[in-house]
Amino acid sequence: MKRAGFSICLLIFCVCLPAFGANALDSLQVGNAEIKSAGSLAFGPEGILLVGDSTDGSIWAIDTGDRTSSSSAAAINLSGVDGKLAGLLGIARDQVLINDMVVNPISRKAYLSASRGRGPDAQPVLASVDASGTISVLNLEAIRHSKVAIPNLPDPSVKDRRGQSRRGEAITDLAYVDGQVLLAGLSNEEFASKLRSVRFPFSGADIGASVEIFHGAHGRFETNSPVRTFVPFEIKSEPHILAAYTCTPLVTFPTAELKPGSKVMGTTIAELGNRNRPLDMVVYRKNGTQFVLMANSSRGVMKLGADNLDTFKGITERTDVSGVPYETIEGWTGVQQLAKLDEGHALLLIQGEDGASNLKTVAFP
Amino acid sequence: MLQGRPQALFFTPRIAPHAAGVLLSAFALIGWILLTPLSAGSVQTPQFKLQGVRGEYFFVLDGLTEEVLTTVSRQSDLSSIVEVYVSGIEEPVPPLLGGVSIVDGLITFHPRYPLQSGLTYRVQFEPGTAGLDSLTAEFAIPADAEQPRAEIIQIYPTAPVLPENLLKFYLHFSAPMSRGDVYRYIRLFQDEAEVELPFLEIEQELWDSDHRRLTLLIDPGRIKRGLVPHKEAGTALVKGQSYRLVIDSGWQDATGNPLRAGFEKIFRVAKSDRIPPDPEQWILSSPGAGGTGPLRVEFGEPMDQALAMRLLQVEDSSGSPLAGSVTMAEEESVWIFCPDDPWAAGEYTLSFAKTLEDLAGNRIGRPFEVDVFEPVQERVVKETVSLPFRIQPER
Repeated sequence: MKRAGFSICLLIFCVCLPAFGANALDSLQVGNAEIKSAGSLAFGPEGILLVGDSTDGSIWAIDTGDRTSSSSAAAINLSGVDGKLAGLLGIARDQVLINDMVVNPISRKAYLSASRGRGPDAQPVLASVDASGTISVLNLEAIRHSKVAIPNLPDPSVKDRRGQSRRGEAITDLAYVDGQVLLAGLSNEEFASKLRSVRFPFSGADIGASVEIFHGAHGRFETNSPVRTFVPFEIKSEPHILAAYTCTPLVTFPTAELKPGSKVMGTTIAELGNRNRPLDMVVYRKNGTQFVLMANSSRGVMKLGADNLDTFKGITERTDVSGVPYETIEGWTGVQQLAKLDEGHALLLIQGEDGASNLKTVAFP
Repeated sequence: MLQGRPQALFFTPRIAPHAAGVLLSAFALIGWILLTPLSAGSVQTPQFKLQGVRGEYFFVLDGLTEEVLTTVSRQSDLSSIVEVYVSGIEEPVPPLLGGVSIVDGLITFHPRYPLQSGLTYRVQFEPGTAGLDSLTAEFAIPADAEQPRAEIIQIYPTAPVLPENLLKFYLHFSAPMSRGDVYRYIRLFQDEAEVELPFLEIEQELWDSDHRRLTLLIDPGRIKRGLVPHKEAGTALVKGQSYRLVIDSGWQDATGNPLRAGFEKIFRVAKSDRIPPDPEQWILSSPGAGGTGPLRVEFGEPMDQALAMRLLQVEDSSGSPLAGSVTMAEEESVWIFCPDDPWAAGEYTLSFAKTLEDLAGNRIGRPFEVDVFEPVQERVVKETVSLPFRIQPER
């Protein structure tokens, strides 16, 4: 899904980044990874899977041990992946909820996060799917891992004085960009707009940083809204974030502006319109041109040209402006998750008309 | 609690799996028993058993002869000897994850995840060696004893009149609920017409940790002026109209049972609220020292119930927070604090973060949206706000 392809070093939050490659695996310890919920996923270096755990208020780094390189992937096509996963887990299909999907950029295998059950006691599941359609469920009881608390959550001691705090934060997206884990969250109380960052490998001394992201609505109203999904990408070789807000504007901002405690005004480049919500985004290149694919709840999969966004001045007038043009990809219906399988192919998680979830490999449009 | 013991539904050698083969099966079994050497002692029929307790069930295959066990144990991979499947699924599914072991003459299968109440599992012995029979059995795991069905116990805000730019509802349930498709069960009607897509539907669903409270955001794209959804579809709530927020009884709780009953919240809509709460206008009424009487804070408007309950606290003159109970009254426009220990005479403060919101998401010092053409004065405030008050000595 969201992976950075950046080769240059980012200066996120104006910190000097530690050398992360060699000691990333060394930072993980074997033991029981007591993940409470497996949600948003991203791949870090060396086959390390980053997992957003909204229930625990943390991010986990899990060593998949999956480091056999494959530059171009064999297609992954598997019908009824949710039903087959349910079989392995010994539960009815309707009790399996697939939460996210990513592709390991080294091995080109698909990884899924899921919930076994629908109640508060649901068990987290991480599983891989290879080109033969074999599903392997990671055994989390003995696995190399580390975790870090999500930065700047409210002090948990507050709830003790009141008996109970129901405050929580859903991690709506996660990305790994050159030694930094970026995450977007949506509080179940405050309507806040925070994009958080924490260094990887995780350090107990690192409390992370958060930035408030604003955007203009047709020049008149400056608003604050949570980021729902985002993807790192480049404009003129400069690292940027393309973010979709809960109130539907599509906004870009330079990653270098994400300084601790700062207020960042993004450039609104498009609006997705009514009766629609963005589900997932992926960046790819085809014939030398950069594109963004975006899966939506009701407007299919959109393809946006992303090469000339630097020349786009954003939606700043009070008149009707449609923003960056996009086309809707025909025949791609029911797409819930998108991931880049290799340079030429996307992996789709599609919900069929019968309600079953299917993995399908397609060429990038 | 279990309603009954798990029961084996059938047990049969694989050589005669269907009804027509029942007789053959019986003959085969009899033949097998007759061929067992008398010197082996009492003859025992191989059979699967379900052992353990709820949440920790495992399968045991008992009654195999030593020869069979010896033959089977020579195999390098035991995992394919005993496989367990969820029964009643038409499409082919892989077997349950779990571990097979041979200890004290028994072959056991421990599933990695607990067996699910209400499901039936098929367990099969596939020795994979010539001359040894396969065995199959099914076990039904009893459904859990029926719990009292969940119901909606409150929806905040409770006021019968809400602003046009209302940002969220909180739905409180009497028991943990299931997640995954909650928006199917929540609808909004203006009179008899259903409002199309009024809510922000997000896959993660904004539950609290025990799934007893769901936060339901109204689509902010339709609240914020100037955005396409607002222009195309207008606001979800329209001033002067009456609405019903309808909760369908088909919504399942965490045990899979539907709600005891549906629920309706009826309200009218007033004009938008674009004015940030102003703590300087709040009215604090404090009791005298020596008792645990209530401190009342009147906001002058309903506030976000969850934020007000969590963020406001009373501190003594040293800045230490006081333990006590908090309630809200008068449609969440009044916050009431009763300390655990009697008030002492002296100076106190009511302190809270400026992220406190009213019903329209206006925060302390900052409206929900800042109109840069007709700006509302944005007041500079600190991260937290402190309002001093005094407890007078006892008379």
